[in-house]
Amino acid sequence: MLDISTGDDGSVRLRGRLDAVQAEKQADAFAKLAGSAVLDCKELDYISSAGLGLLFGTHKRLSNTGGGLRLINLKPHIRELFAIAHFDSIFQID
Amino acid sequence: MERERAFAKEIASLENVFNFLDEFFRLETIDNRDSLAIQLVTEELFTNLVKYNTTSTNPVVVGLERDGKVVNLELVDRDVDRFDPAGLPEVDVDAPMSQRQPGGLGLHLVRAIVDKITFEYAERVMRIHVVKKLETNHA
Repeated sequence: MLDISTGDDGSVRLRGRLDAVQAEKQADAFAKLAGSAVLDCKELDYISSAGLGLLFGTHKRLSNTGGGLRLINLKPHIRELFAIAHFDSIFQID
Repeated sequence: MERERAFAKEIASLENVFNFLDEFFRLETIDNRDSLAIQLVTEELFTNLVKYNTTSTNPVVVGLERDGKVVNLELVDRDVDRFDPAGLPEVDVDAPMSQRQPGGLGLHLVRAIVDKITFEYAERVMRIHVVKKLETNHA
């Protein structure tokens, strides 16, 4: 299960698991993101290649119009996956 | 394998696959770090079978066993044409964003995480075997 909400600071908060099932279910929600967005991943517990692909596809789409995704509060095991995928040089990760 | 279960060959089975893995992690007192890695590897391999081994709708059997500080994971897909995941092109993770595509990362992640992976095909049965050393000291 993945829950997406908007924080008081305007960030997009991800809570739960972004696996292949959830990546498919949440594709529409990510398609609605525009401009620049901050994804707060503090409560993101799990991500697979399907989830990484969804984030990458969204970031690439937004970057084409001068925006992009900034990721904050990644848990260490998730940050490690970003490094393995060499996404740490593509996304802004704080 | 000590513990095995068959799952319908569809992405929607993932929740049941994860539940099966959770039972194993509880029984074997495998902690979060190792369990997340094994979940990821299982998801990537299972979804690859769903996407690419489309000649059969037979269920996929997922098996697990622990041997000391090692977990053996096996996925068995029966009555399928030969498909060699090892022959899939490697994703170029060093390519610039403009040249990269959202997909194709699954096996790259798996290879980086596991200690050994073998793909066997004989008599129309595909068998993927994974060895993953546990990184944390478990009871």
